[in-house]
Amino acid sequence: MKALVFERNLPRFAASRVASVFGSGRGAGIGPLQFLDALPPDVPGDDWFHLRPLLSGICGSDLATLDGRSSRYFEDIVSFPFVPGHEVVGVLEDGGVDHAGTPLAPGTRAVVEPVLGCAPRQIQPPCPQCGTGHYGLCENLAFGDLSPGLQTGFCADTGGGWSAAGLVAHRSQLHSVPERFTDEDAVIVEPTACAVHAALSGGIQPDDTVAVVGAGTLGLATIAALHHLVRPTTACTLVAGAKHPHQRRVAEALGADTVVPPDQLARAVRRQAGSLVLAGRLTGGADVVFDCVGSSESLTQSLAMVRPRGRVVVVGMPAKVSVDLAPLWHRELTLVGAYAYDRESPASPEGEPRRTFEVAIDLVAEADLGSLVSAAYPLDRYEEAIVHAGAAGRRGAVKVVFDLRNRKGHHR
Amino acid sequence: MLEVDRSTPPTLYWHGERFRLERLPEGSRVIYAPEPIDPLEDPSAAIRQALRSPLGDKDPLPALLRAGMKLTIAFDDISLPLPPMERPDIRQLVIEQVLDMAAEAGVDDVELIVALALHRRMTEPELRHALGDRIYDAFAPNGLLTQHDAEDPDALVHLGQTDHGEDVEINKRAAESDLLVYVNINLVAMDGGHKSVATGLASYKSLRHHHNPQTMVQSRSFMDQHHSELHTSNWRMGRLIADHVNVFQIETNLNNDAFPPAFSFLQKREWEWSVKDRLAYLGASKALDRTPAKYARQIFHSVKAPHRMTAVQAGEVEAVHAVTTDNVWKQQGVTVEGQTDILSMGLPYISPYNVNSILNPILVACLGLGYFFNMYRGKPLVREGGVVIMSHPTPWEFNPVHHPSYIDFFEQVLSETTDPVEVAKGFEESFATDPWYIHLYRTGHAYHGVHPFYMWYWCAHALQHLGGVIIVGGDPAAVHRLGFRVASTMADALEMATDIVGPSPTLTHVHTPPILMSDVQ
Amino acid sequence: MTTNHGSSRSLLKPRAVRADAALGTTTRSRAAATLKRLSPTDVASWAGRRRFPLAAPSWPETVPRPAPEHELGIDYDTDWSRKYPVRLARAMLTDNLTRPLARVIADPLVRGDEYLANLDAPVIFAANHTSHIDTPLLMTCLPLRFRHRTVVAAAADYFFDRRWKADLFAFSLAAIPIERNKVNRRSAQLAIDLVEDGWNLIIYPEGGRSPDGWGQIYRGGAAYLSVRTARPVVPVHLQGTGHILPKGGKGIRRTRTTVTFGTPLFPDEGEDARRFGVRIESAVATLADETTTDWWTARRRAVMGTTPALQGPDVAAWRRSWALPPATSSFGSDGAEWPRRIDWPRRTGSPSQ
Repeated sequence: MKALVFERNLPRFAASRVASVFGSGRGAGIGPLQFLDALPPDVPGDDWFHLRPLLSGICGSDLATLDGRSSRYFEDIVSFPFVPGHEVVGVLEDGGVDHAGTPLAPGTRAVVEPVLGCAPRQIQPPCPQCGTGHYGLCENLAFGDLSPGLQTGFCADTGGGWSAAGLVAHRSQLHSVPERFTDEDAVIVEPTACAVHAALSGGIQPDDTVAVVGAGTLGLATIAALHHLVRPTTACTLVAGAKHPHQRRVAEALGADTVVPPDQLARAVRRQAGSLVLAGRLTGGADVVFDCVGSSESLTQSLAMVRPRGRVVVVGMPAKVSVDLAPLWHRELTLVGAYAYDRESPASPEGEPRRTFEVAIDLVAEADLGSLVSAAYPLDRYEEAIVHAGAAGRRGAVKVVFDLRNRKGHHR
Repeated sequence: MLEVDRSTPPTLYWHGERFRLERLPEGSRVIYAPEPIDPLEDPSAAIRQALRSPLGDKDPLPALLRAGMKLTIAFDDISLPLPPMERPDIRQLVIEQVLDMAAEAGVDDVELIVALALHRRMTEPELRHALGDRIYDAFAPNGLLTQHDAEDPDALVHLGQTDHGEDVEINKRAAESDLLVYVNINLVAMDGGHKSVATGLASYKSLRHHHNPQTMVQSRSFMDQHHSELHTSNWRMGRLIADHVNVFQIETNLNNDAFPPAFSFLQKREWEWSVKDRLAYLGASKALDRTPAKYARQIFHSVKAPHRMTAVQAGEVEAVHAVTTDNVWKQQGVTVEGQTDILSMGLPYISPYNVNSILNPILVACLGLGYFFNMYRGKPLVREGGVVIMSHPTPWEFNPVHHPSYIDFFEQVLSETTDPVEVAKGFEESFATDPWYIHLYRTGHAYHGVHPFYMWYWCAHALQHLGGVIIVGGDPAAVHRLGFRVASTMADALEMATDIVGPSPTLTHVHTPPILMSDVQ
Repeated sequence: MTTNHGSSRSLLKPRAVRADAALGTTTRSRAAATLKRLSPTDVASWAGRRRFPLAAPSWPETVPRPAPEHELGIDYDTDWSRKYPVRLARAMLTDNLTRPLARVIADPLVRGDEYLANLDAPVIFAANHTSHIDTPLLMTCLPLRFRHRTVVAAAADYFFDRRWKADLFAFSLAAIPIERNKVNRRSAQLAIDLVEDGWNLIIYPEGGRSPDGWGQIYRGGAAYLSVRTARPVVPVHLQGTGHILPKGGKGIRRTRTTVTFGTPLFPDEGEDARRFGVRIESAVATLADETTTDWWTARRRAVMGTTPALQGPDVAAWRRSWALPPATSSFGSDGAEWPRRIDWPRRTGSPSQ
């Protein structure tokens, strides 16, 4: 069975880096990604399941890795060769019980929470982060029973979603999907969980003005999370910047109050916050800014439109960026990252903390985020798919996925 | 007035900083402006004469001046005349005479105020151009040449309310002067009269009573004082002001000689073009087609008009304004028989609100639907439910220094609604009180935050009256944002118009410049 | 006519004598070197005989000489300098050499030129006069419409006393000779004819450059011409030129100058030249006042009759010098610029994007 495998191969790294100049994903064919015959990975232990992927998303961080734009920070927390794909909905091939003790029958649809923390790595006692429920921030990503890898899809031992051969997942990683969900709804749960985590960590106060920079999958999901999870308690105002017309339409449909092209965002925020302008930046501005891009430009823009003592939440994955931090110092800003997912505090004091994925599953249903999946490709057309994902906004798409449901038609 | 037949040459259209020649369908009417009236031989002598023998119930100016008095001279801002005239500007000629008389009378306390209402403040070169270096150097360094600030609570005084409950709040220095001399340039019939002081020196609080969609819809047109709610309201306020302030009104008329000899073809009917005119047209239009818009704009905004003064009146406001309006009609009035289905117009690079600036999409709409559409007396040139076809590139471009609030208005307000009433209800207040716009208006050279709303209200009458608006050669995104339709050629536009007004429509083209006013029978 | 005749003759005579003497010396030395036996007179007569058909004949002593073709002084005929080719050449010179040069040396700030915009030519420009630089400076500051159709009234006894000077000034500045110390009908008539022919005229009513920077008594020429031709007088004040090249000074110093045009003055109905002259003088005085104060102050002082007189205080010479306005910021000095440019308060940031 076929799989896309990412190998450590320096000339190919260089080639894809050069090719990416002509557009994100352009180097997929000549880069370190190879379309190979592969066997299903072996299960590393008892609590592991074989999973046959149905849909598997192409994420911004995947594209950055393929383009060679990814930070070298990740070098030691991935292991080669790996099969990419961490936004996965699949069917269990084995039976067992999940992390909550619920029995899982073979053939159950499940999404993978891809972080490979202390639990999958069989590390006892768990690190302080995992011990307190912050699985996403696990300190042991390179240790334990598994090869290094921050998530499924970056680890040599687990396989990944871009494979017809399937992958393995620890029971702590599995979340069964409600019956009524389509596969599209399910595959969007993982990015939605990131957005939920970011939105709920924004510290938004009542009547705040909130700006969202970027309207890719993550930006749109963040808007939805803010609208459905934060706005009911805070009555905040949502201003979003979206480059492409379809993104603006979707952003509005998902609940943003004002959606403008990115070059107009600062003006829209200024109007909303009623502030003045000094040397191209706002004197007041938004209370919280979600940067769902993570580039030098978007960070600079975010820092220029947040109020003093305001908060900039970095949701999109940054790499090496160049940003003037003078405003951070002078205006006592908070620049905070929002990575992955763990547990979210309840909305009401009497409620229980819930796994981010569970909140995300509810949100996907509520906001119909499955409609963000705009194109699906079979695995063998991976070059096309990756180029499409790299130009998603320009080509009127949001999320591009691999469709592995109809294997028979394509292979063997 | 010309009826197009087979032998009629193509008609010249302005197209922003460019020109187009369009062959209009047979049977179309083209309205041309009257010839320029001969200017006054000796403007200075005429001004002196007017000041010494005022109209209405007013003493001659020298008799009103005495030592120890407080004299304020207010004058029109950069929005008049269009294009800006060659030196010496009329304001300079008139104010020099007024100051001469003031000097003779031994008046010490004199202040000059630019009556700019909510317009942008003028720059030093602009003031020097309008007043001459001498007046500028004599008054500006001493702080005696000021620009009206409608947002300075210390510089405003509330004179009371009219019997219609309209607040009258005007410039304090002007209100507290023993004599207020207002120097007008009356380019169109809307200018002057009580509107000079009641609008030019007023605050937002006062202006909002007549600068709103309801008033504008009831001003039919605002170029016809007697059927203009805008003017009725201003007249009420002006009479209240006249009870408190001694206003000596000076109004001047210009002929419509709007372009220097190099552009003489603009002033002529196409069939009168000489070889020289045709060469000038070819040279100019070919060169402009190849010039980036930015530079073409610079070229045009450096053009100074050879306008000359044709008349000057001084004295009591209403008596003066009656004569002035007559004079405007003499220069610009054209009698037109009946309305038309389609009205077409070529929009130039300039409007009152973008001197030395960019004609942004909102100003394009205002110039076409606010000004040109309203240049009528009686009934509009185009029938109810008819179509206006305008020719202008309408680029999505704004001058951020002059028009900061226009940018937000266009991006954030017009994207929500283009209905003037909705616009006023939903957004006016927040724009009018936005501290950033106020800051830029008071200290920079920006139009007030509420000004784009006024531009949109100016279009209210036309928007209500018309069945459709088509912009030929416009930028589709910008035109759609305005709520209009875009056509690439005049033929396409006519085709689109027939969808609205029915087959074989009548077409009338207003050939401007020069400015003309239609008396529609 | 007879006096003129006599004067020109007396001017020419020394030239003739010098020429004769020169010829004598050269031939003598040559003769001495080559033909020792021949006497100088022989050689002269031989040369004269041989040359006559080619050279001009000598004039018999007994026959009275007619006036020479080119007279000097007031009789210098400047017609040629207004022929088209000469005008063209002068225009080239003025625009390409004089004008840039005047810019560099005098850096003129021109004020009030808008008053000339609606004025029909010809007009009479009446200016104060402190320096030789005045004429080229004023000429180059005139609007194009006037610049190449303007003649300058120049002192016949100073600028037209030598042939080369007469030719030079007539060509380069379109100077016409004018008698400055007394009314001369011929020179006045020439000026009137030229004005009536459409030429603008620059005239210095003081009759010459100021010896100390202060004005001198105004003479009636400008007013007389204006009354006679019914053309307006434009008062002009030139400020700072005295510092560039003062009378009796050596060398040129660069200084900023101000050229101020006033509103055109027309002689009133029935106004005689003398009274009109007073008005012209006070107009120039007001302009002078304006360059040191401002227009409004100058207007008010003019009305109150407190405009400082152009002639300055009637006191000892040092005190007159002392009371002169200082050089207006020559280049490289403290840089105090005049007129002061007042900027409107500009505290704004540029609007967001």
